[in-house]
Amino acid sequence: MERRDFLKISAATGAVAALEGCGNPDHQLIRFVPEEDMLPGLATWKPSICTLCPAGCGMLVRVMQGEAEVVRNGQLGILKMGLPKKLEGNPAHPISHGRLCPRGQAGLQVTYHPDRIKTPLARSGPRGSGQFQEITWDEAMKQLLSHLTALQTSNEQGKIGFLTSPLRGQRKTIVHGFAAALKAAPPIEFAFLASRTIQEANAWSFGSDALPTVDLSHSNYLISFGADFLGTWNSPVAQSVGYGHMRNGRTGQPGKFVQVESRISQTGASADEWIPSQPGMDGVFALSLAHVILSEKLGTAGAAGHAGALIAGWSEGLPDYAPAAVEKQIGVPAATISRIAREAAANAPAVALIGDGPAAHTNGFFNALAVNALNAVLGSVGKPGGIVFSPVWTSQSGKPGAAEGKKDGESSVRTLAEQIHATPDSVKVLLVDGANPVFATPMAWRVREAFEKVPFIASFGSFIDETTVLADLILPDHSPLESWLDDSPESGSTKTVASLAPPAMQPLHNTRSMPDVLLDLAHQLGGPVAAALPWKTYDDALKIAFSSLQKQKGSVSATDADDFWTKVKDQGGWWSAEDKSVSLAAGKIPAAAVKNTAPQFDGSPDQFPFHFLPFASQLCYDGSLAHLPWMQESPDPLSTVMWGTWVEMNPRTAEKLAIKQGDTIEVASQHGSLRAPALIAPGIAPDVIAMPIGQGHTNFTRYASGRGANPISILAPMVESGTGSLAWAATRVKISHISEGKIVMFGASLTDASPELKHR
Amino acid sequence: MAHQWGMVIDLDRCTGCAACVVACHAENNISTVGEDQAARGRAKHWIRVERYYEGEFPDVRVKFMPVLCQQCDAAPCEPVCPTFASYHTIEGLNGQVYNRCIGTRYCANACPYNVRFFNFYNPEWDKPLNLQLNPDVSVRSVGIMEKCTFCVQRIKASEIQAEAEKRAVKDGEIQPACVQSCSPHAMVFGDLSDPQSEVSRLARSSRGTKLLGELGTQPKVTYLQRESWHGAENA
Repeated sequence: MERRDFLKISAATGAVAALEGCGNPDHQLIRFVPEEDMLPGLATWKPSICTLCPAGCGMLVRVMQGEAEVVRNGQLGILKMGLPKKLEGNPAHPISHGRLCPRGQAGLQVTYHPDRIKTPLARSGPRGSGQFQEITWDEAMKQLLSHLTALQTSNEQGKIGFLTSPLRGQRKTIVHGFAAALKAAPPIEFAFLASRTIQEANAWSFGSDALPTVDLSHSNYLISFGADFLGTWNSPVAQSVGYGHMRNGRTGQPGKFVQVESRISQTGASADEWIPSQPGMDGVFALSLAHVILSEKLGTAGAAGHAGALIAGWSEGLPDYAPAAVEKQIGVPAATISRIAREAAANAPAVALIGDGPAAHTNGFFNALAVNALNAVLGSVGKPGGIVFSPVWTSQSGKPGAAEGKKDGESSVRTLAEQIHATPDSVKVLLVDGANPVFATPMAWRVREAFEKVPFIASFGSFIDETTVLADLILPDHSPLESWLDDSPESGSTKTVASLAPPAMQPLHNTRSMPDVLLDLAHQLGGPVAAALPWKTYDDALKIAFSSLQKQKGSVSATDADDFWTKVKDQGGWWSAEDKSVSLAAGKIPAAAVKNTAPQFDGSPDQFPFHFLPFASQLCYDGSLAHLPWMQESPDPLSTVMWGTWVEMNPRTAEKLAIKQGDTIEVASQHGSLRAPALIAPGIAPDVIAMPIGQGHTNFTRYASGRGANPISILAPMVESGTGSLAWAATRVKISHISEGKIVMFGASLTDASPELKHR
Repeated sequence: MAHQWGMVIDLDRCTGCAACVVACHAENNISTVGEDQAARGRAKHWIRVERYYEGEFPDVRVKFMPVLCQQCDAAPCEPVCPTFASYHTIEGLNGQVYNRCIGTRYCANACPYNVRFFNFYNPEWDKPLNLQLNPDVSVRSVGIMEKCTFCVQRIKASEIQAEAEKRAVKDGEIQPACVQSCSPHAMVFGDLSDPQSEVSRLARSSRGTKLLGELGTQPKVTYLQRESWHGAENA
């Protein structure tokens, strides 16, 4: 063979091998005409909003030119386009302050996920089988319209259900406006970590149905009852910024941080003093602190105002809550209680927080009211260094009444499931957007079984998850980076915040923005529905809504409406010039002052000796981020576990049951059981078993499916007695050793480090 | 005088949230290796959060410590490299020239901080995850050692920008991805050769300590120890 021939052949075979490796022969793809001018190698920064949790952090997206395989008009080709490369906090944004949490950083992988739904799908196999066939948008819209008009004709619009993740801003206006105009059932907003009990308690104590904004940067003393405020609760980035300031960012004394919980959380790990207490006794603990403050005249009963008056026995100085009387109940020595109370009173401003765990007991509402009363007597409500309630922007695109300020807890899904089980005919069409209750509700609620009875389910989901897999029709939404976004967060800043972001990139796939699909549907339905949603596109609605802000004093000054709109888009939103907290109304007045009831637990202590404590995962959050490879491979900060889940237990518990690190154990409640590897750690009470929420997906992309176990599935259907929210910390379990197992930890050797290796 | 890039990490502020870990992955094209490889200790995290439990229930304390390449002035990883892939840059960084690296892994053995990571396989990104790759950072192939660079691409970008504008690099202008993401501002980056820079000022703190400083590696990362609260107890 001539050398020249050899080179020819090897070049040809090499090229074929490379093509096979890539899947799509690049040279056969057509190249689309780029729609925007970008200089190669130069980055531009575009504002966006993180939608992965309710905090609503403002982001900047680093966009650079790249080549992406995209489908346009049914044709696969290569498009030179702006591609997001990195997400960072927007320094001008009053909530993120230029920072982001690990979950926010990983938002890129939502857009670029290989298992995103790329085009509309119609179910082609049995329901739940995951078999779908690709259809066009025209067909998909026709199918959905025919189901909606059929119910309109038979006057059964009330049998149209709409299930979404929590909504805010104009997206909420459009979803609720659509449902109302269609005379459908009011949309249900579902999230596992909805904090409804805390919000309702705040409505009672302070007249504000919202989570508080915490001004940690000015606090001198912080008592947190199970609030994971540096990780997953409320507005973690804003709170972490404030926390850094409280620890070391100002002259004088750093603030002290006390954490009360039965399993040390990522937040509790930073505490100066970590106090383990009995599950469900946070309210008693808070009132015992208040008792000391009142009896030692470190504060007056009247100072607590309405929040104090709600609590039975408050004006008498809480005689039932003397530390010596309740120390056994709480599991904390009386001397410690008295000392903490005195320290807090002496180090004003002192603030108390209550997180989702303590509120997820049968007496969670009382726990939250008690902590509110403690805050009030500490004088921290509405004050610098305390908690304030943020003024929320509630423009409704000039359509008043389109969206109520209604908030749903997770219990609304239970009601829906019960309704379907009782009268299967009561929901004929279910529209689902972003919520995954089949994963995030206890098996005992039988949500999956209920949805299986619904004749027609349409989903706007971007991924096949446990709920979307039941859909008959999928109309995939854009990813957040491809969408117009707006948000008006309820906490995290004392400014009024109205975030806005144009798409940071063109869509990669054959998807459509959900609000635009609803507007399109409304126009096609005509009549009152079209009249109620007069905007041509979602961004039209946004422009009209934001125009009302031009007259107000804020971060944008503009000459005319177009100038204002351009500047708001460039800045990533509008925020008020002044820091303001809403003036506190009197709150709700109950018939009688609220008394404590002992927390109830499902399962007898003899048969089920352990409290079962699920907790939000720092990386996978409530499970909705388990599909992102960065979240799977990043080690959990406390356990260092990667790509999996664990059951956390005290070394004494493990020793008693002869369980070694990584052994597979079975956790059983009265309502189900699961298997997962054991993780032995000292920061948990011996009678508590803890487990992160997030893993255990049966159907959620290649990265999360069939990985670990889901603690929510075995929870008892216990509810908070006042609010009806799921009491997800009120289940008792037993554990048994199954076999040797495996646990993947990044820092497996860290616990063995010799003392001199540890930092001082 | 050349810049001497350094970092201060305030352990009093660090909350162990792991934002730095993910930010580093995103910025530096660090590939994920999957569960099986991770179980064999082959996951690559240029920065990690070390966690230490102290004490027994109920008197438990936890300490977090982010650990990344300490960019030592007397770096044990450099002299052992037979191909000069590990070398000391004029600005004091422990550089790694991927083209020179032949994968002896001597440097990883010599490093007392365990912050060098070997590519046992060619990195893979399931399409279209490859679109997230940062064009400013090279992708490392199989057989190559990789490590924290203090985000040298960001350092260079700022230096070039400053030069074009005929000015010096401003203090705080350069933020590696980890520093940029840190919500409680636990991490500060800057020029140690400028005594007025924030990083120099903080590095002189009485709380300052070097990780394994007794080995004589002369790290350019200074950790500020946690302070226990010493307020008015039993006031």
